[in-house]
Amino acid sequence: MSKRVVAVLLAAVMVSGAFTGCGKTKERVNEEGESVITVWSPSDEPAIEEWWLRKIEEFNRLYEGEIELRREAIVRADSYAYEDKVNAAITSDDLPDILYVDGPNVSIYAANEVTIPLDDYFSKEEWDDFFDSSKQQNTYDGNIYAVGATESSVALYYNKDLLDEAGIDIPESKEDAWTWSEYYEAAKKLTKDGVVGTNIIMDKGEGLSYVLEQFWISNGTDFVNEEGSSAKGYLNSAEGIEAAKFLNSLIQDGYANIDPIQKEFHNGRAATMLGGSWEVATLEKDYPDLNWGVTYFPVADKDSILTSPTGDWAASVTKNVQDMDAVKEVMRFLFSEENVTTYAQAISKPPTRVSSYDVLTEYNEYPRSIFKEQLMETGHPRPRTPSYSVLTAEFAEAMLDIFTGVDPEEALNAAAEAVDKDYNKYYAND
Amino acid sequence: MIRRKGGFVVQKLVNKASERKAAYIFIFPAVVLLAAFLIYPSLQTIRYAFTDYNIMRPDRIVFCGLNNFIELFRDKDFWIAVKNTLYFTVLVVPFQTVLALALALLISSRRKGVSIFRAAYFSPQVTSMVVVAILWTVMYNSSPDSGLLNALLVNLGLEPCGFLNDPDTAMNSIIFMSAWQGAGYQMMIFLAGLQGISPEQYEAASIDGAGKIASFFYVTLPGLKNVIQYVVMITVIQAMKLFTQPYVMTKGGPQNSTRTLVYYIYEQGFQKRNFGYACAVAAIFFVIVISLSLGMKKIIKAD
Repeated sequence: MSKRVVAVLLAAVMVSGAFTGCGKTKERVNEEGESVITVWSPSDEPAIEEWWLRKIEEFNRLYEGEIELRREAIVRADSYAYEDKVNAAITSDDLPDILYVDGPNVSIYAANEVTIPLDDYFSKEEWDDFFDSSKQQNTYDGNIYAVGATESSVALYYNKDLLDEAGIDIPESKEDAWTWSEYYEAAKKLTKDGVVGTNIIMDKGEGLSYVLEQFWISNGTDFVNEEGSSAKGYLNSAEGIEAAKFLNSLIQDGYANIDPIQKEFHNGRAATMLGGSWEVATLEKDYPDLNWGVTYFPVADKDSILTSPTGDWAASVTKNVQDMDAVKEVMRFLFSEENVTTYAQAISKPPTRVSSYDVLTEYNEYPRSIFKEQLMETGHPRPRTPSYSVLTAEFAEAMLDIFTGVDPEEALNAAAEAVDKDYNKYYAND
Repeated sequence: MIRRKGGFVVQKLVNKASERKAAYIFIFPAVVLLAAFLIYPSLQTIRYAFTDYNIMRPDRIVFCGLNNFIELFRDKDFWIAVKNTLYFTVLVVPFQTVLALALALLISSRRKGVSIFRAAYFSPQVTSMVVVAILWTVMYNSSPDSGLLNALLVNLGLEPCGFLNDPDTAMNSIIFMSAWQGAGYQMMIFLAGLQGISPEQYEAASIDGAGKIASFFYVTLPGLKNVIQYVVMITVIQAMKLFTQPYVMTKGGPQNSTRTLVYYIYEQGFQKRNFGYACAVAAIFFVIVISLSLGMKKIIKAD
């Protein structure tokens, strides 16, 4: 008899143990009767983690008795680990109220009705204070689906000593930005003694789409059409193939590495690099001995369009939200003038609100002024298409194939076809 | 007498019945866990294999019959993944097994200092595969200025090799590092097996005039037969599941050369959000692995 009791108890303990934590839905109201608003965002560097602690405390003090703000920092690793977790939450209908998403993914979540429009969260005057580049990236089908505090841009960093030695001049204004041919010639001249001429972001992932799309745009085309419904005739257009061929020539002729070491430019092993705005802080802090400068993103040779990448993570509100008023209060708090400014300051990225630049005066001075200027005048957000995850994966694969010997036209045709297939399967009939 | 005997029988029956009950109770937790985390998900996978399921739209799962399977059989990338997975398995299993056996023989003697080597050979196994893969990515770097192996090649007066950046060598590079990482574990199993062969057998062999080589083939190998079967079996199953190395080192490229079945499932299901299609690939993968395992078991039994 006692044997049976023990067995039953053991069984109960084991089974219940296995299921602890499952089936627990997000708490929407706490014991004090406050509305609970949960935020998911990628875990970040210490300065930002500290910003969150400070701001959450401030918010909860301000709204005591009404709203409690919570945040879960989720390890991003590469961006897919974060997305895997979001995908799981979508399947189990257990999304947080506020979800941070990477710029180009805004359209995917919007098209799949995971997130909701935020147009009425701010007044027209308030929206006018946000950068167009940021608003464009976060707009899908005419509505704004996300708000970001920071922007990003990419420009051409150069090693002053190496360029002086080679007698190469640097463009002073964006109208004089290097053309592809000038960029190629400079890289060619600078490649010697174990130093490569340039570094084009080669992370085999999102970085490729983020930076290299500009070569398509500058050459008068893009990855997809305006509606985001087709890549055929854009990604694999004659201009696109030309862009791919140009990038491939840098790799094949040995002026850029397909497999660059970490911080190749920072360590003096690449003479120039297409680098993000966030590199300024890193270079200033960790590489004080490197004599570097930064200039505008290179442009196509003929009929070129001035361009530069933009986009950063932004907050969206999910369909699982219950207290609409509370979530709006939280969003208005997180993206107030003051908080956009302090957030941008903590993370050393350009803020999205024009008024923040009155406080962050360092952006009026070189080198940061280059990025501000690009953002306000030449920025192009990544494609807004619900098929973006397929597009970015296919593009990275196509470029790697091209760099290892596949014909550019063939590789881009295959990528464009895969993107269109995904769109037609899931979104064409919406 | 008769009564007592009958009572004994009844008692035995009662015992049997209650024991059976107890047995069911004891296996109950295991069955529940298996059902929840293995059987139920497997059945769901098979169900989803017949649907159009965009992972972001769990509210719009549409039955599509055999469409996924029809598409799959026409899908060039799928067949490349099958080919790559089999290529990896066919090469890595013998290579890794022989390597493990050689290491085990090397350190099976009771000489002083051998335990240091034992720990050294086993150490890659206790390191996470992700860490090992990142380290090897650096070593395999295609530029002689940064890649350790290419620096070595160039110093020896040879041409640098593309390793992970060359579709002809990428998979072989992964095979080599996987065997290096995995051999330590099998080495330990072989060591245990070697200790099970009694010294008298070697003694008898040497009296009969067998040299080192002959006693390896006539004493060691037959003595290890069961161990070898076990090692080959688990290595095959492990090899079929290859994922971490291509995920970390190559993202399936270049030119599809390292895209394996499990990587393809991940890529389709999570990256491209084609969940239904990924489930169809998973179902086929399941069939391949099960038939391989059963086939191997049959061969071993017939032996």
